[in-house]
Amino acid sequence: MTVRHVLTLPHDVLTTPSAPVGTVDAEARALAEDLLQTMAASPACVGLAAPQIGVGRRAFAVDVTGHRKARSCHGAFVLFDPEIVERGPAEVAREGCMSVPELTGDVARATWLTVAGLDVDGTRRELRVDAFEARAVQHELDHLDGLLFLDRVAGPHAVFPRKVYR
Amino acid sequence: MTRFSLSAVGADRPGIVAAVSGALEDAGCNLEDSTMAILRGQFAMVLVVSAPPGTSAEDLERRLDDVALRLGLVVVVRPLHEAEGGGAGAQEGGPAAGGAVEPGPVSAWTIAVHGADHPGIVHAVTEALAAGGGNVVDLVTHLVGEPDAPVYVLTIRATLPAERAEEVADAVRRAATAVGVHCTLRPDESDLL
Repeated sequence: MTVRHVLTLPHDVLTTPSAPVGTVDAEARALAEDLLQTMAASPACVGLAAPQIGVGRRAFAVDVTGHRKARSCHGAFVLFDPEIVERGPAEVAREGCMSVPELTGDVARATWLTVAGLDVDGTRRELRVDAFEARAVQHELDHLDGLLFLDRVAGPHAVFPRKVYR
Repeated sequence: MTRFSLSAVGADRPGIVAAVSGALEDAGCNLEDSTMAILRGQFAMVLVVSAPPGTSAEDLERRLDDVALRLGLVVVVRPLHEAEGGGAGAQEGGPAAGGAVEPGPVSAWTIAVHGADHPGIVHAVTEALAAGGGNVVDLVTHLVGEPDAPVYVLTIRATLPAERAEEVADAVRRAATAVGVHCTLRPDESDLL
C-alpha cells in the first residue's frame, strides 16, 4: 500500500493501450490499494488510472465524494477491465488531469452511462453513473486506451493553460 | 470598400486592442474577422478590415504609427484582392475563394498531437496534411512541461478531402509517429439545432 508517483507527459505508458487484468489476484488488489491511496493523497483528484502510476493494466479508481458537480456518487471504488455497457448523450465541459498539470480542456462526454467491471473481490459490478462521476469514469477509461483529454478536445481553442502567460 | 489584412505584435499590456481598434475606427474601417492571443507574453492580433474606397495600406499604417510607437507594436497592413477576401460562405469546410486548395467536398477534423518537444513536429504533421490535400483551418500550440522535459501540445482543425479522409488521416498519424509524438484524429461532429 503506497502513494505512488503520478506520471506526467511525455510518457509511453500514458499513450499506450493497457493490457487486461483478467483475474483479480493479490497483485491486482495491491494495485487497487495503490490507486486509492495515491488518489486520496491528492485533494483535488477524483480519479486515477493504472497507467498514470506506471502500470499498463486496465484498472482505475474514482471517488467524486463531496464534489459540487457530482450527482451520482458510488464513493471510492476500483474497477478492473471496465467496459461501457450503455451511454447517454454527450455534453461538453472543462476537465483537467494530473498527468497534464498545466492544461485543461473542453471535452464532450456522455452525461450518463452504465459501466461494468470486476471489483476488488473479483465480482462483476455494474454501475450507473451520471454527471461528474460519469465524466470521471470516461476520463479514466480513456487512460486505459492510451488517450488523454488532449486527444478528445473540442478543437484548437478548447485547450487552456491553467496559468496565464505573462 | 477595400479590404486589408492587418497584423500587430508587441509585448502584452492593457489597452492594445482598444488603441488599435480606435485608430481603425477613426480611419473609417470596419473590423471583420479577427483573432488575437497572448503568445509567450507577446500580444498578437491578425485582422481583416474593410476601409473606405481610396484607402491605401500605407494610409492605414500611417494612421496606426502613433499607436504602434506608443505601445511598441510592429504593425503590417497588406491590401487583399477580391479573391483573397473570403467572406460569408467560405468558412465552413470549403477553402476560401481564390485559395490553392483543391476543390471538392471536404470533411472537418480535429487533430490532437502531443509529445516531447523538439523541432519539426508542426512541420511533419502539416506536411503530411498538405500532401494529402488537407487544409489547416485553425491551429493552436502550447509548450508546457518542465524546462528539462518540455512537452509540445498541438491541436489543429483541418479539412480533409472527403472521399479519402481516412487515407489522409492515416498518413498524418504515420508522420506524427515518425517524429515520436502521439496523434489522434477525429472527424468533427456538429448537430444542427
